[in-house]
Amino acid sequence: MSEILQASGAIDARRLGQAENADSLRARNTRIAIGDPVMIKVRRSDDGRLQEFLTPYTKAMRVLDALNAIALKDAPDLAFRWFCGSKMCGTCAVRMNGREVLACWEAVEPEMTIEPLRNLPVIRDLVVDRTPYERKVASFEPWLTRTVPYPGFPEPLSHRDIKNASKAIDCISCMSCYSACPVIRLGSLTDFAGPAPLVQLGQTALDPRQDQRQVARALSHSGIFNCVSCYKCEEVCPAHIPIVSGVIEPLKAKVVKLVPQMARHPLAFRAVVARRGRIDPGELILRVQGLRVLAVIPRLIRLLLRGKINPLRTLLGFKTSAAGAATRILNKTESSS
Amino acid sequence: MKFAYYPGCSARSTCAELNEATHRVAAKLGLELTPLESATCTGARELRAIDPVKFYGLNVRILALAEREGLPLMTICNTCTLNLLDAHAAVCDDALLLGEVNKQLRDEGLEYRRTTKISHFLWVLYEDIGVEKLRRLVVKPLKGLTVAAFYGCHITRPPGRYGFVDSRNNVALERLATLLGCEPIDYSGRTECCGFHTAAHDERIAIKLTGQHILSAKQNGAKTMVTPCPLCHTVLDSFQKEIESDLGQKLDVPVLHLPQLVGLALGLSARELNIDHHMIDFDIDV
Repeated sequence: MSEILQASGAIDARRLGQAENADSLRARNTRIAIGDPVMIKVRRSDDGRLQEFLTPYTKAMRVLDALNAIALKDAPDLAFRWFCGSKMCGTCAVRMNGREVLACWEAVEPEMTIEPLRNLPVIRDLVVDRTPYERKVASFEPWLTRTVPYPGFPEPLSHRDIKNASKAIDCISCMSCYSACPVIRLGSLTDFAGPAPLVQLGQTALDPRQDQRQVARALSHSGIFNCVSCYKCEEVCPAHIPIVSGVIEPLKAKVVKLVPQMARHPLAFRAVVARRGRIDPGELILRVQGLRVLAVIPRLIRLLLRGKINPLRTLLGFKTSAAGAATRILNKTESSS
Repeated sequence: MKFAYYPGCSARSTCAELNEATHRVAAKLGLELTPLESATCTGARELRAIDPVKFYGLNVRILALAEREGLPLMTICNTCTLNLLDAHAAVCDDALLLGEVNKQLRDEGLEYRRTTKISHFLWVLYEDIGVEKLRRLVVKPLKGLTVAAFYGCHITRPPGRYGFVDSRNNVALERLATLLGCEPIDYSGRTECCGFHTAAHDERIAIKLTGQHILSAKQNGAKTMVTPCPLCHTVLDSFQKEIESDLGQKLDVPVLHLPQLVGLALGLSARELNIDHHMIDFDIDV
């Protein structure tokens, strides 16, 4: 129903570019025929250059088929990883034309640049070292610890109770999301654990049987509030896990319950909306940053001079015309999760 | 053409120039906007994560206010747009949730019947004004203005909402810029993230991420950037001095809100569109 409502009208402006840029498998497949040349440029680790190969297109050719073809014929020393060839093992992820894909599942492009995943050390050519990810996951104690004895089969779990954990269990640890994440790309600037480790954490932390003390220990060093909600991870996830909305957001809700001192920003946001109805950026920043706000005084002066902030409104605590409704909804006491 | 109008918090505070420009441009386009005076914040990313049921309450209430007016809803902020679309989809998929949310609205005599169409200003231009009419309304084509379109995230991702396999394939802003007489440029930041949503507690992420995007726009020849989202605008424009210090180089790239770019081509002056409120001066003759 939502799709019909939101896509009515002659043009669907939400999808402009899909047709001309062949933004679907069917459209892409029509651009190439059996026997056509496939140009593959592979990033080699010895000298960092792109090495070019040509191979003829075969029916339903995947990126992995192309890599195997050139490894057999032209580049026996090309290093790449794969095992199952069927979207199960998660070992063959690479970047094709700047986008993370599973080599075993992705259709070839007539011209494609194949590079190793980002944000992980390259061992050789397209093979990356997964150790940073594995260390992070291990630090999250990724196992289920029951606090009450097993009640016998079937366990009394509802669909709603286990929904998010069961989605997280679809993860094949391919590291596509970890490579696509812009915050992980910033390296040690933040302590953000990254999407892939958080999905692993979600498998147990979002399971209602899990020991909440163990969840709190993991979340307290997850850096989860450094997620910028860009959905880059969801875009490349071959298992179609709603990483932001179905894993990271429910984990943030856990933080509020279990480690509230980490959740200063969202709790301040909630308090401002509940009182004023809309966000007053000045009050939000003051509540979140406290005295740290002194460091950005030059910007505040610039903003004030251009009429972009209103300190009077902030300091006098003006409520907006939406305050009544926001207070009523947000301060209602019934259970909210 | 009538719309219920939801500007969001940013366009009523740090980006008030966007709200005013939107009203001026709407009048030129023949859009009649009915502001929803008691509309609250949609909850941005924060409430959405920590209190989902009340997040749905706030968003569905906004949709119900528009429904009561019998009007489609026009937004001008990416994050508000996605929140409202997600809330609409969630109550369409889950009747129990709809019941729970409607219970929160009962005190005001509101009940959402799931009929509100949600449309960002960018989509209204294509779907409701139409390309032909818009072309006729362009009285001052912006010849020679090279523009870097900055989509932001929530108008082109997640894939489950907008249907792109690769969000970089979106061309809505570039096609519009061409129609207005500009010359859109290609650069690496088009559909990347500005980092706004973590900026209230740690702005270093936003500064590092957005620095690369503005730099790429400049290096590829953009005289200005344009964005459909006031949150992206805040980082691109209000943080640009800090970004320059971090990069150790001058950028000085002005950033327009989407309605301002449209307004210039429709013959409104930079002053009428409040472009002089931006931190980076737009001193380009168009």
